[in-house]
Amino acid sequence: MKVSKLIGFADLIVEDAPGKRVLLMGNEAIARGAIEAGVSVAASYPGTPASEILETLALAAPKLGFHAEWSVNEKVAFEVAAGAAITGVRALTSMKNAGLNWVMDMFMTLVYGGVRGGFVIAVGDDPDAHYSSNEQDTRFVAFYGEIPCLEPADSQEAKEMTRYAFELSERLELPVLVRSVTRICHASGDVKFGKIEKPERKPVFDRHWKLPWRWNVYGPPGPVEKHRWLHGQMPQMKKLVETVPWNKLVLQGKPTFGIIASGIGASYAREAVKMLGLENKVAFLKLGTPTPLPEQLVERMLKSVKSVLVVEEGEPLVELQVRGLAKNVNPDVKLLGKLTGTMPPVGEINTDIVAHALAKLVKRKLPADRPRELIKDEIKDLVAPRSSTLCAGCPHLGSYWALNQALRKVGGKVPIVNGDIGCYEQGGYAIAGKEYKPSFSTESVRYPIEAPYETLDTNYIMGGGVGLMQGQFQAGYKDGAIVGVAGDSTFFHACIPAVINAVYNKVKGVFLVMDNAWTAMTGHQPNPATGITAIGEETKLLCVEDVAKACGVEFIRTVDPFDLKATTAAIEEALKSDKFAIVVARHVCTLQAQRQKKFVGKRMIFDRDKCTGCKLCVSFGCPGIIFKEGKAGLDPILCNGCGMCAEVCPTGAIRVEG
Amino acid sequence: MAELNLIIAGVGGQGSIRASHIVGIAAIREGLRARVGETFGSAMRGGAVASHVRIGKGVFAPLIAKDGAEIVLALELLEGLRNAVKFLAKGGLLLTNTRAWMPVDVNIGRAEYPSLEAIKGAVEKLGAEVVAIDATSLAQQAGNVRTMNVVMLGALAGTGKLPISVETLKEVVQENVPPKTIEANLRAFELGFAVIKK
Repeated sequence: MKVSKLIGFADLIVEDAPGKRVLLMGNEAIARGAIEAGVSVAASYPGTPASEILETLALAAPKLGFHAEWSVNEKVAFEVAAGAAITGVRALTSMKNAGLNWVMDMFMTLVYGGVRGGFVIAVGDDPDAHYSSNEQDTRFVAFYGEIPCLEPADSQEAKEMTRYAFELSERLELPVLVRSVTRICHASGDVKFGKIEKPERKPVFDRHWKLPWRWNVYGPPGPVEKHRWLHGQMPQMKKLVETVPWNKLVLQGKPTFGIIASGIGASYAREAVKMLGLENKVAFLKLGTPTPLPEQLVERMLKSVKSVLVVEEGEPLVELQVRGLAKNVNPDVKLLGKLTGTMPPVGEINTDIVAHALAKLVKRKLPADRPRELIKDEIKDLVAPRSSTLCAGCPHLGSYWALNQALRKVGGKVPIVNGDIGCYEQGGYAIAGKEYKPSFSTESVRYPIEAPYETLDTNYIMGGGVGLMQGQFQAGYKDGAIVGVAGDSTFFHACIPAVINAVYNKVKGVFLVMDNAWTAMTGHQPNPATGITAIGEETKLLCVEDVAKACGVEFIRTVDPFDLKATTAAIEEALKSDKFAIVVARHVCTLQAQRQKKFVGKRMIFDRDKCTGCKLCVSFGCPGIIFKEGKAGLDPILCNGCGMCAEVCPTGAIRVEG
Repeated sequence: MAELNLIIAGVGGQGSIRASHIVGIAAIREGLRARVGETFGSAMRGGAVASHVRIGKGVFAPLIAKDGAEIVLALELLEGLRNAVKFLAKGGLLLTNTRAWMPVDVNIGRAEYPSLEAIKGAVEKLGAEVVAIDATSLAQQAGNVRTMNVVMLGALAGTGKLPISVETLKEVVQENVPPKTIEANLRAFELGFAVIKK
């Protein structure tokens, strides 16, 4: 979710006003850190919770004269930034947790030789999977690639660390990973500005800079020697992290108990300590570099106390390393954290969780209001669930309606619909208020669909659906039609090789591309289907059909999903075809159309007497349709008059005026 | 004032995040420390949204602890209840819009939307106060239904529980709404303020 940038924000974010205090979201603070460091090239692909980093940089780029782009995917973005850093300028790439998976090939190889200009990889992790398909902890990637990871505890640190990350990157000649989490990325805090550097570096190129064949991993002395070089950077890295201001040990008096807390874990732990009145009674090591660890600081802590609680967001990366260090320094110290079950192994942490773990360990009681908890149990059934939905008048509603209609007619017994990532992934979010039971059938099973949110059978990652459908076909699945869906941005991001593969390997199936011209889910960023760049310049508009045709696809139909009949007919025809068939359902995102004042709402009429309460309109899934006391209705505030539901209504109770 | 913990809850698209940023910016303008943490579902619109606004010296974490909010400001009734049950402190205030945004779960008959009376009763049982206003109608009266979040900010200011001056808050509202809607937003603020003051 994005809050459209405040008026004057673009001027504010480039203001060279050291000492000025402003409220910045963690992502904006990361962008400001890069601005202060004089970044020359920034590239990204949108992904919640990291999108606002590049969005903010794109606002600043035209004002400061650097390059910011939405790349077609994270891998390309990473390479764009890495290519710039090889020429000695400062570069940043940003992405969500899953985005980092896309860049792993280049990541693991680029580190064999590193960079010349500062190269910062800013990653937004998402513990609790608020908007992600997994909870992966990308700090491990820094460990894996033998590069430093910086982990901020708040917006101010996010800015300072990003700025410092460029310096650190240049000292080590290696990329530096800045790992934040949703509660940093999307939390705002007061940030004090620093000075904006303008390095005005000239990009240079030297093939043998400090190492022969520096930028060509196969060039002599070859990958193994380059790996040795990478490994050789570690002692310097470890030395530097001992003195960075974000690693801080507080040892007052003779505490027997200590806390090691990394990143945002330190913010929660500080409040938990306060909640329990333990200020100055516990040793506290706040970490800003979970890898490499400031080993001397950790060892001092381990030598001084009897037990230590490790607080970190994600997997036990710090905890595992601390265990290793404790073995040599103080094998008797009791280490507690995720590995001991003291802290939860999944989900995100918060002040309450840390306080409870801490209270148990120091044998203190947190104030509890038992009678109030019992009242809460009584009233919790009142709190109705709220499943997330597509927007009122969303073109995807039309596409899903048509798809489900067509599948009912010609989709066979048990069709499979493979989903993908974008707004339309809500086609698989299902209904929170409904109970779904596991099935142990040995045959294919078809389930009723009460709302479009129950359409998608599979859904994993960007571009995953169009690949999975091919495997289902090649396995010989015959119980029903095989369908994949994706959006425009996802098509360009990840689907093109899979489309070529489908044609090459003679797959039969339907690929529905829902083209709304924007990367809408992450807050309306432009992409090749939009025809504008990150900084708002016009560019060539790429057309899904043209690309599909060039990939060898022979069956291509284009429809307007607001026209339910035509869309259903096109999908039906595709389902009957014996080819790999692409249907492009194209209609601009309704929110965008409204923002650009191009959306023309129709006057809708609802005739209560004609409504039979059949609920067909409700199953269309539009939040503008309500159902009360046995009859449907239109919410006058949410309904924007797209008119699609009038086509759904079989009795004429919902009509378009005129 | 030691600390203020405020939750602004609603449904995606109602402007709860914008409202929370307005409060956060106003706090910083008055020299206070602020944190605004957002919690919301994956969707652009239609999902449950809550912003945690924390003002005060000892504030580090972006999230309010359980039972730790002095005020829950709800742009949507059910979301007010959802957050009050989890976060509202004993003696706290649920200030809510009376208008319902029906969840799809309710529409398809898989859940029931609680009545205002039931919600009031439940929150009062928890030892907290409930003040409910028809902010959506007031926003329409102000000339733009989308100013509902600012009606609620006006109402919040009207309670006198914010450690921020009304003038600063109004100033930040003006700076953070589309220029064409400034007048409607200021009217909305005044309407919300007045309805509480009465």
